[in-house]
This record gives sequence, C-alpha cells and structure tokens, in this order.
Amino acid sequence: MGFLEIRKLTRFFGGLAAVMELDMDVGQGQLFGLIGPNGAGKTTVLNMVGGTLRPSRGQIIFDGAEVTKLPPHRRAQRGIARVFQENLLFSSFTVLENVQVGYHLQSRIDLSSIFFETRSNRIQEKELEQKAMDTLEFVGLGQYTNEVAVNLPHGRQRLLALAIALAAQPQLLLLDEPVTGMAAEEVETMLSMVRALREQKGITCIIIEHNLKAVMGLCDRIAVLNFGRKIAEGPPEEIVENPAVMEAYLGKEEDVT
Amino acid sequence: MNREGMVKIFGCIGAIVLAIAAPLALSSIYWTSVFTSIAINSLMAASLRTIFIIGEFSLGHVGFMCIGAYTSALLTMKAGLPFGLTLPAAGLLAGLVAFALGYPFMRVKGIYFVILTLVTSESFRLLIYNWKNFTGGYDGLIGFPGAGVLSIPGLGQVDFNGFTEYYYLTLAVVCVSLFILYRLEKSRLGFTWLAIQEADKMAGAVGVNVLRYKVIAFSIASFFAGLGGGLLAHFERALGPQATAFFGVMTTIYLLIYMVVGGKSKFVGPIMGAVVLSLISEFTRPVEEYQPMIIGAIAIAMVMLIPEGLVSIPEKIGKWLSRPLE
Repeated sequence: MGFLEIRKLTRFFGGLAAVMELDMDVGQGQLFGLIGPNGAGKTTVLNMVGGTLRPSRGQIIFDGAEVTKLPPHRRAQRGIARVFQENLLFSSFTVLENVQVGYHLQSRIDLSSIFFETRSNRIQEKELEQKAMDTLEFVGLGQYTNEVAVNLPHGRQRLLALAIALAAQPQLLLLDEPVTGMAAEEVETMLSMVRALREQKGITCIIIEHNLKAVMGLCDRIAVLNFGRKIAEGPPEEIVENPAVMEAYLGKEEDVT
Repeated sequence: MNREGMVKIFGCIGAIVLAIAAPLALSSIYWTSVFTSIAINSLMAASLRTIFIIGEFSLGHVGFMCIGAYTSALLTMKAGLPFGLTLPAAGLLAGLVAFALGYPFMRVKGIYFVILTLVTSESFRLLIYNWKNFTGGYDGLIGFPGAGVLSIPGLGQVDFNGFTEYYYLTLAVVCVSLFILYRLEKSRLGFTWLAIQEADKMAGAVGVNVLRYKVIAFSIASFFAGLGGGLLAHFERALGPQATAFFGVMTTIYLLIYMVVGGKSKFVGPIMGAVVLSLISEFTRPVEEYQPMIIGAIAIAMVMLIPEGLVSIPEKIGKWLSRPLE
C-alpha cells in the first residue's frame, strides 16, 4: 500500500482522454518522477492530485483516506502542497508576505484580531513572521525578504514558490517543472533542496520535469506517460533502457534502406 | 509612529472635523442634504472596494442597497419598528441574501460574475417594481417615518427627523462602517483577500478556502450596501418611481467610477472619488442633462492621465517637490 495511491484515474476533455486508467503508487519519502512527451497528461495528473481538476473516473487515496473529491484547500490541510508550472506567486506582495500566506493554515482569524491588537495577536504575528523567515532562509532567500516578488529573477521566483508550498507544512509536495528554464547552478541548488526536504523533513515528492538528466539523478522511481497512458514505470536505470520510452521520446526506428 | 501613519491620522481627523463643521458653516438645508448623500455614496463606494479586493467587480452593488432601503422602509411602515432596529436589519438582510447567492456566484470569475451580479440586481429591482401590494410598485412607498427619536448614550433622547440631525446620524454610521471596513482590510482577513486577488489558485493550494473567503467579502460588502440603502431610504422618506430608476445599473456604474477616479489601490481612494465626483455632480446641476457626459469625461481623463487615481496625487507632488534640482 502506497502513501499516495492512484487507481484507474481517468480524465476526459471533451472526447480526448487526457489521462486514461492510470494506476500509480508513491511510497512515503519517495522522490517520484513523472515524465513523458508534451501533452502526455503529466500536469493533468498533478492537477487531479492537487485538487484543481476533478477526475472523470478513478480514485486518489492519500495516507489511507480517499481525497478524490476534496477541494484543493482541504487537500492542503491533509498535507498536499503544490508548486505550479508557471511562476504563480502573489506577485505584488513582498517575498516575506508571500511565505506568510503559505502559513495561512496556522494563522488564526477572529474578530478580536481584526479590531484589537491584543498581546496574543502580536505574539502570533511575530511567530508566523519568524517561521516565514526560517522557511526563506531554508530555500536561500533570506536576504530578499522585502523585495517585491515579481521583481525577482526566474530562478528565485521558483525557490519562492517552493517556500510558499513548504510553509503549508506538506507531507506530499507536487512539483511541476521545478528546474525548467533555470541556469545550471540554479538547477543544482533546487535539486539538492528537494533532496534535503526528503532527508530532513521526510517530504514525499512527485516531480514533473523535462530536464531528464535532472529527473534521472534525483528520483527513486519514475513513471512515463504517453497519450495519457502509463507506458513504463521503474527505477531510473530501467527507464532509460526501456524501448517503449525511447520510442515515445525519439520515435520509432524505421528501416529506410 | 512614522510619517505616513501621522499623515493618515491627521488626514482622518481633518476629514471628520470638516464633515462635522461643513453644515454648521454653510447652514443651508440644501448643502446639508448634499453632504448626507455624499456620506452615503462614500460608504457605497468603499464597500464596493471590498468586492474588488478579492479580484472581482460587481455591477449589482446597488441591488443590495435596494434590498436595504426597502427592508428598512417596510419594517418601519408595516411593522412599526424603530429606525435603530430597521437599519441593522437592512444591512443584515442584504448581507444574508449575498451570503446565500455568494456560494453559487463565486464559483465563476471575471465577466461571468459581473453578469450574474448585474442580472441579480436588475431582478431585485423588477421584483420590487412588480410586487405592487407589498412594495408599492411604481407608485412606491411614500410617507414612511424618518429616523425619529433615538436614545444615544451620553446625549439622551435625540430627534433625528431634522435634516442636520439626520446628517450627523448618517455621518456617524458611515464613519463607524468605514472604520470597520478599514480594519477588516488591514487584518489577516484582508491579507487573505488580497492573496486571493493575486493568485487564487496558489492560495487554494496552501489551504485557503477561496470560496468561503470570497463569500465573506461579498457578504460584508453587501451588508454595508444594505446599510447605505437604509440610510438613503429614511433620508428621502419616499421610495417612488425615481427610486426604482435609482436602483438601476447606472448607479453601480457611478460607484465604479468613484472607485476608479479616486484610486482603487488604497482604502481612501473610493471615498475620495465619491466626495469629489458627487460635489462635481452638484455644481453641474444647472446643466443636468450633460452630467453623465461630464462625469464620463472625467473618468476617461483620469484613467488616461493618472490611472492610480486621485489618492496618488499627493504622493506625485511629494516626489516632484523632492526631485533632485539640476
């Protein structure tokens, strides 16, 4: 039994089966790669696990409980957080404020905190601010706390998106193309960060990435999707040798002589 | 306290002192009633901004004002309740209707939400127009009592039927309402609203119940629109044919213009817009048929020249004054 179990997960867009009868098990603490050519249905799978998209059929079981029909915020409460593909941030907020939104689940909103600045409110605010600072230090953005998010370069925006997701205290982190468009050294930083998350906090990750070198070096297990179906699954060394995977990526070898 | 905080506090005190002194200085019933409607407009524009904070626009804000106006009027007329009870009831009913509609409405975004609010507000208006034996329909409700005598702690029994007294009552209700709206915006609740405006998907992914927070904002905004309606009803003391026209979409468009001209990025923006444009409307009364055109031209000019609105002017002047001299 996996930490995350996906059973016969299917999603249609009109007549198109974006994901078809997908079965997948992700173990606790695993770094699980999800690869495949463009349009294979990777992001659709992540959307369904994260809750922004309802499956047409099938089940998603997380930590022993079915979450298939829960809205995103309920899944976040159970420990599923998400880093989106596009640089989705609270753009006009400062870096620190971005991470403070991530701590939403730990903040208390009541009438007294709205109309009176009581001592306990101030203490709570201070605590959350400190936690947000720690998270920023962890991803290496400690010195940019007061910068407006939209002014950060691409690589740091990705790190900030990761920090926001971490603030929600996830057990399962969904990373959609975490290193795409990054410079080589930034890729290394991000990859070692993901490893550290697993080692220090035991966070399980599902990673979609086109940078195959990065995925192969990072993940314990990889599933390959093509046209919405899983065509292979296994450890990285098996995946690179798999003829079906080669065909999906490179096309079929034809005898042209 | 920093300089910005001082400016805010002194600005606020100055505005209140001015608002209190103005009718005494001018001592004309005409101007006092103009100020009353400006106060109501300010509350309407400021509460409309609460919907803007979650990243939506409503073209139906006046519909909730309409609910408030008729609730308070009918409760005083048919149930004989005092104004002290009917005014909160006006807000509550408007807020409750918004709460009930919010859950289905807030599932859609952008232009779809705008259309829903528009048709809803028009339905309220047509309902009132056609429900003749209850709301008076086209003939309207005439001759319901004003605010009457209310007991105010510290002042004892005060008769609010006079124009000046009613103005001060309105001013007090509006000031308290604005204070509440301001605190809401500056609190963690307002912070979460802004986060939803910035990126609702991301907010949902870290555990924000986006739908609920949007419905809360919509209900609160509508509650204060209902209060505004209640204040308007007992100011006019009649809801007749003009009233059913007033509760049409044009009024909401004016409120949006107040918000845009004043500046929607700051709390005080819509209030500033409401005050300035309402005064311009008054001064252009001799050429009444051109009023929409004048207001429209001002709105266009502002959007083209100072898109941040009137609130940004002091800041701009400050920057200009402190520019390095060549």
